[in-house]
Amino acid sequence: MNRRRRFSFSGFLILLILGICVAAPLLSPYDPYAIGVADPFSGPSAKNWMGADDLGRDLLSRILYGGRITILIAMAATAIALLIGTLWGLTAGVRRGWIDEFLMRTADAVMAIPQILFGLVAISALGASVISLPIVVGILLSPTTARMARSAVVTELASDYVVAAVASGTKRSRLIISEIMPNIAPQLLVQLSINAAAAVMLEATLSFIGLGIQPPNASWGTLMLQGYAKIWNTYWFVFFPAMAVTITILAFNSYGERIRISMDSRRSSV
Amino acid sequence: MGRFLFRRATSSLSVLALSVVLVFMSIRILPGDPVLAKLGAATEVTPAALKALREEAGLNRPLLVQLFSWITHALHGDLGVSYFSQFKVTQLVTERIPVTLELTFFIILIAVIFSLILAPLSALRPGSIVDRVIGYFTSFGLSVPGFVIGIIFILIFSLKLQWLPSRGFTPISESVFENLKLMILPSITGGLTATPYLVRYLRASMLEIKQSPFVRTAEGKGLSNIRILFRHILPNSLVPTLTMLGLIVGYTLSGVVVIEYMFGLPGIGSLAIESSFKRDYSVIQGVALTIISFFIFTTFVFDVLCGIVDPRLQLAKGSQGEP
Repeated sequence: MNRRRRFSFSGFLILLILGICVAAPLLSPYDPYAIGVADPFSGPSAKNWMGADDLGRDLLSRILYGGRITILIAMAATAIALLIGTLWGLTAGVRRGWIDEFLMRTADAVMAIPQILFGLVAISALGASVISLPIVVGILLSPTTARMARSAVVTELASDYVVAAVASGTKRSRLIISEIMPNIAPQLLVQLSINAAAAVMLEATLSFIGLGIQPPNASWGTLMLQGYAKIWNTYWFVFFPAMAVTITILAFNSYGERIRISMDSRRSSV
Repeated sequence: MGRFLFRRATSSLSVLALSVVLVFMSIRILPGDPVLAKLGAATEVTPAALKALREEAGLNRPLLVQLFSWITHALHGDLGVSYFSQFKVTQLVTERIPVTLELTFFIILIAVIFSLILAPLSALRPGSIVDRVIGYFTSFGLSVPGFVIGIIFILIFSLKLQWLPSRGFTPISESVFENLKLMILPSITGGLTATPYLVRYLRASMLEIKQSPFVRTAEGKGLSNIRILFRHILPNSLVPTLTMLGLIVGYTLSGVVVIEYMFGLPGIGSLAIESSFKRDYSVIQGVALTIISFFIFTTFVFDVLCGIVDPRLQLAKGSQGEP
């Protein structure tokens, strides 16, 4: 058990990525929409660190700005999934009985629908935007969150402090808000991190099929699609956005993993 | 056994029914009109003509009536007709599904082979360098989107080395060799995406089995570590892994959508993409129904298999079925 190691590289990486996205206008060497600032398809150079795309736009600037869209969509989707999922799981866990049965069967049913297929249908109907993408991705991620929240709530409800609280006449709403919620918060945080990773992955995948934010704006997924289409001209164009996506997902996944492990060890050491 | 089968079957069927209703409803609730999409840029369309087209396609009836009629027809093996091509949906799906099944088969084969090598290596000495390296690879693998792996392979094997084609498809009936050659990159891409899940799960269950008394007995008898690992631990940890494999087969079936798209394979995944751009309701519904049924069916079969191999599991309330 390693509680003294407070510093977490993945946590630092997440903060760094968020910081870079916020500060994109200050960090970008060029206007991401300015055409012809470099030779089209030129590779990395001192002037353009990541090279340029097919229109001679600076790739580094486009990735910095693209990160803002990707991270914004991922954060909004994660918030939506957390909100819907927690309510869903909480209701099922607290009410039990046929409500529980129905809610959890629905979660199974939603999980059986292939995510990409649902995303395809929904996004092609709604059109890809910074509003529709988070909603669709958030809905897709909510049943797993609901499942997790439910099992956490059920475990908490069986614990002694809840029995004591009920015995002392605590109201159910108060019990949920001030007793159960703080106790399942760490699990929710793990799920939050995993969801963020999954949201970045889903957004990238949908964009890669052509259902992402439309040009001239571009998320990392859109950039990857454009780069993939020009893979015979230059491989840098697809390489850098792919790296950005992978590193971000990796950071969120390992952060979630880390909290989970420290939670497990704390529990076992109690 | 009978009760176990019945319980699993009813739970699978109820999930299937619910998800089918969800798919149907969400497609109808979302904006977009297939009749308008079909007419495209055609001018001189009178409202009367629109109404006639809608009536012809049965789109003007109440939602519940449409749902009921669709389900009744589906139960008779009739998934309707494409609004665009007028082909039968069942025909479109059966034409495309062999490609998807072939790809899924190879993906699972590769994932199983890799995991059967990596997981025991990892579980042999937990915490060793080998274990940690494999651990890093699985964590990394879980975070790389499938199509990024695909891009890397295309860069290496198609672009640099020019060994393998990056796109296209030849039916197996035309040329087995050409078919397999075109299947290599997509299968490895998918296989490597599925491997980390299996490795993790198999490693964890091997480590758990390692704690059992019979392993201590085997150690006490002086058997070698390798022998204990492969003859005693591995067979016992395969049972829980079967459930996981069932889930992975299901996820792969739905995950191949992107792989088919990026490698230009004409499976039901690309069919789904084409028809969703055209708002071809009946085809999307057909594809969704097919994939969901396969998903639920495989998890059901694997659950039952586990129940047969390890009868203790029959007493539990169904491994994923319970709420």
